[in-house]
Amino acid sequence: MTNATIEIEIDGKKLDVEPGSMVIEAADEAGIPIPRFCYHKKLSVAANCRMCLVEVEKVGKPLPACATPVTAGMKVFTQSEKARIAQRSVMEFLLINHPLDCPICDQGGECELQDLSMGYGQDITRFSEGKRSVANEDMGPLVATEMTRCIQCTRCVRFGEEISGVRELGTLGRGEHLWIGTYIKQSLTSEISANIIDLCPVGALTSKPFQFTARAWELTQHPSIAPHDCLGSNLFIHSRKQEVMRVVPRENEKINETWLSDRDRFSYLGIHSHKRLTKPLVKISGEWQEVEWDIALRTVVAKISGVLDLYEPSQLAALISPNSTIEEMYLLQKILRKLGSNNIDHRLHQSDFSDQDDQVLMPTLTGMTLEEMEEQETILIFGSHLNHEQPLAAVRVRKAIQQGAQVFSINAMDYDFAFDLAGKIIENPTSLPTTLASLIQEVANITAQSLPEFFTASFSGKNPSETIKRLAKRLVDTKRNSLLLGELAQNHPNASTIRTLSQLLSTLIPLKLAFLTFGANSAGAWMAGVLPHRQAAGQTISTPGLTIHDALEKKLKAYILFGIEPGKDLAFSSQALAAFSEAETLIAFTSFSDRVLMERAHVILPISVFAETSGTFINVAGTWQTFRGAVTPRGEIRPGWKVLRALANFFGFDEDFRYTSSEMIRDELQQLTPASPSSSHPQTLSLHANFSPAAGMVSRIIAWPLYQTDSLVRHAEALQATPLHESPRLHLNQKTADKFALSAGEMAQVNRKEIILPVHIDASIPDDCVYIPAGFEETAGLSVPFGEILLEKASA
Amino acid sequence: MISKLKYYLKTILLVELFQGLWLTGKYFFSKKVTLQFPEENTPTSPRFRGLLALRRYPNGEERCIACKLCEAVCPALAITIEAEPRKSDGQRRTTSYEIDLFKCIYCGFCEESCPVDSIVVTKNMHYHFEERGQQIMTKEKLLAIGDKYEAQIAADKTLDEPYR
Amino acid sequence: MVEKTQFVLSEAAKSKIDSWLAKYPPEQKRSAVIPALHIAQDENQGWLSDEAMEAVADYLGLPKMAVFEVATFYSMYNLKPIGKHQISVCTNVSCMLKGSDKIAEHFKNKLGISFNETTSDGNATLKEVECLAACAGAPACMIDKTYYENLTPEKIDELLRGLSST
Repeated sequence: MTNATIEIEIDGKKLDVEPGSMVIEAADEAGIPIPRFCYHKKLSVAANCRMCLVEVEKVGKPLPACATPVTAGMKVFTQSEKARIAQRSVMEFLLINHPLDCPICDQGGECELQDLSMGYGQDITRFSEGKRSVANEDMGPLVATEMTRCIQCTRCVRFGEEISGVRELGTLGRGEHLWIGTYIKQSLTSEISANIIDLCPVGALTSKPFQFTARAWELTQHPSIAPHDCLGSNLFIHSRKQEVMRVVPRENEKINETWLSDRDRFSYLGIHSHKRLTKPLVKISGEWQEVEWDIALRTVVAKISGVLDLYEPSQLAALISPNSTIEEMYLLQKILRKLGSNNIDHRLHQSDFSDQDDQVLMPTLTGMTLEEMEEQETILIFGSHLNHEQPLAAVRVRKAIQQGAQVFSINAMDYDFAFDLAGKIIENPTSLPTTLASLIQEVANITAQSLPEFFTASFSGKNPSETIKRLAKRLVDTKRNSLLLGELAQNHPNASTIRTLSQLLSTLIPLKLAFLTFGANSAGAWMAGVLPHRQAAGQTISTPGLTIHDALEKKLKAYILFGIEPGKDLAFSSQALAAFSEAETLIAFTSFSDRVLMERAHVILPISVFAETSGTFINVAGTWQTFRGAVTPRGEIRPGWKVLRALANFFGFDEDFRYTSSEMIRDELQQLTPASPSSSHPQTLSLHANFSPAAGMVSRIIAWPLYQTDSLVRHAEALQATPLHESPRLHLNQKTADKFALSAGEMAQVNRKEIILPVHIDASIPDDCVYIPAGFEETAGLSVPFGEILLEKASA
Repeated sequence: MISKLKYYLKTILLVELFQGLWLTGKYFFSKKVTLQFPEENTPTSPRFRGLLALRRYPNGEERCIACKLCEAVCPALAITIEAEPRKSDGQRRTTSYEIDLFKCIYCGFCEESCPVDSIVVTKNMHYHFEERGQQIMTKEKLLAIGDKYEAQIAADKTLDEPYR
Repeated sequence: MVEKTQFVLSEAAKSKIDSWLAKYPPEQKRSAVIPALHIAQDENQGWLSDEAMEAVADYLGLPKMAVFEVATFYSMYNLKPIGKHQISVCTNVSCMLKGSDKIAEHFKNKLGISFNETTSDGNATLKEVECLAACAGAPACMIDKTYYENLTPEKIDELLRGLSST
């Protein structure tokens, strides 16, 4: 490496730098400050602010450091008379039209222009003419604008062009009249749009929910981890007086680079929701009563012991949200197993559990890092709306395309990805496994490999489509391939088949399987053992408990829910509602008041959410990320792990529950030797949910929309007001609508009035399919996550 | 000998007594400096730092824009501000502006830092509290003081203008 | 801001755009955006509606924003409806020295409008433009696509009479 570098000198300091890099990069690395506005290390070089002018020896004019490549023996002076005059002049130019309204500007105190004007600005202005003003635009509920403050650095424009892939902002007009605007006054629709708030060096683009509420100098910064998607983006929580004021990204090249998705950035608004429960509640003869913690916990013990005295321990089941910390998960499964039950699950959205014994220790990217995702040559997105499920993974995929990768998609809906696909197959979800099989067949044909018996017995003869042929050819031709299995693939009624087929494909060609799981801590849930068939660290159990589906279907006597809103978080929501209504005991650890839950629960234990508790998430790359609480929860709310530990003590399990910090729980789990379950995939394939819709029936497609994924997001009002949030409707294409004589806006009923919703014509849905989003109270009554449903015009 | 004689003469003729009486007489007939305090006040400088007030613009709009510079500069941490966009027009305004007068040291830094001449120290120093809690000057109280003494404040600020 | 109008690129316009596209490498469709916008503008009574810009964006496979940026950059594109005739008066240095201020004033008085406005009868739109590259004949103006040089108030009166009669 050293012989490839060249030597330059900046301010008399000798530096070894890589050829081709820019002067500003070399200076940054050496810690030599050069002022800049338009330069950003993650964006292309624009060199239009001219603030970074430096003097270079033997060059007549000062040069912009961001756009001047280093050359051997170059001598750069950042503080020379010439450089300083240039920088001061540029600053004077920038301040000609920039309003001096720092006291009312939200960027005041953390403004790059304000900071640099202290060093390079002048005391008085020589400009006495009027300043220009630019009309503001409404960019939606997340980003506040004050375009007069814009200094036209175009960072936001380049972000849309290069990173998010949605060109929402552009440079309009020219010269003196140049302004940044949206196309015909549109709201921002990218799921990572709010990053322009951080990019903007001045106060032109600021956070709308945070607007005017606090100053940078009042805030305390706490490092933390995003609690929504499986990447575990690193972030900073900024708090003031025990209140979370905002969330900003924390740089981590391995995970989120310098970005943060809007969901991770604004979900903190849910913390302040008026629906937060702040006191333990016990239902006494049908009425909710606020009680002290010890009474609430004593009631829980009494109720569960009552059920255990009368029935088998297997009449008790626990469900936990995959957004819980591993500490909470570990303690809950430990308590449940102490009570003699193995009925614990976190796979809230899944419906096929038949291969659970054959699965690996935890679903991850299987050895791939997120950085490596950028280096893939061929990526197949299978059953995933990547942009919505893992917005920042989509940024990586987009970068891979910019470096020449081809991305294919096999999906049940024609998602609007922010990148160009090389090919796509959109079809009824039932045929997804067969399509994957035809790809395997084609790959085997090209590479002249024989396929195992179990494959040929189940799948044969389907002619591969043109796209499959192209994809197969490409997969064989390239070395770095990956298959991203998204939520639809994992929640599919034939998910086990899809998993087996994917594994089979990875034995034929070099292929990395990436399980992009739902929630922030699905991998952690597997590790912590919140599964009916495995204990912590993947240890097997002789008598496995019931999966979530069976536990709900069999209507047990007692349930414990942890961080779950039953109408919105479960795939089998109508079964769950029925089971919970009939259960003798329903204990809910929850943060928010939810109508459906409040009607059925018997004891409510208010627990903390993100930012109020310490804990650990294991992300999709298998990284353990521990964070501390940033603020104290209000009222009687307590961190989940503390409540669970106290509950264990009330049960009399003092011995094994002597934890005084969440770190102790994590360390205990970390010290367990992880089992290495045989990753041998099953040698049989069955399509146990194989159907083509009968006459009068259609296939339901289920998905949790971007801002309906968990209770915290659902309570973040600003996110619910974005154009990405849609009210629940029945999405179907024109052809299907015609078949059932339905028109847009008309009310239609599903499965004999299980639910009634308006029809929405959506060309992205394949024929004979209806996409009905989950995560809404309106869709809770539907008993079929994936599969046949009966669609009719709503009868009066 | 001579000094002894002088001493006796001074003593017998009561010279020092008359000197003292002369001084007394001088003051007896000169202009009086005593003020009838509650009714009369000593003159104060326009820069006198007394009770705090929040000012308004002539059109009735409050001046304070919630920039929080006074809160930041206050050495006694006496000022507490809460802000959010005003409901009616989205402008940056305070929802609460409180000064704890027990903490306040009347240094006047808040006035120095204010970019819109909103928070000011007035000449007024005659005030008292009867109950605990009254020392917290809320936004309403501060604005009321500002409204009451606006003419005086404006005059004082004009006088001080050339020296700023 | 303006009323919605239907706009579809005609076959003739598409073939004209295609002839421009043929001049550039196939992956550089963006290069043809300027002539394509001119063609769309000519088809849409001399101005670019949102729909016209969207049609161009769709035809060239560009983000709408990219087309909008170009359309706002050049003064040759009108983003609002214009009158039957477009009068572009140069006020740049050469013309100014030869009295373009008076010429512009005369146009304004005669038409009863100021710059960037259209007469109430919809006959003429007055625009201020930068150098028309006709400095030798300053002061100059361009009416629709014809140049008129060495303007005098009398000459303008005559030109305007000619416009109103057509």
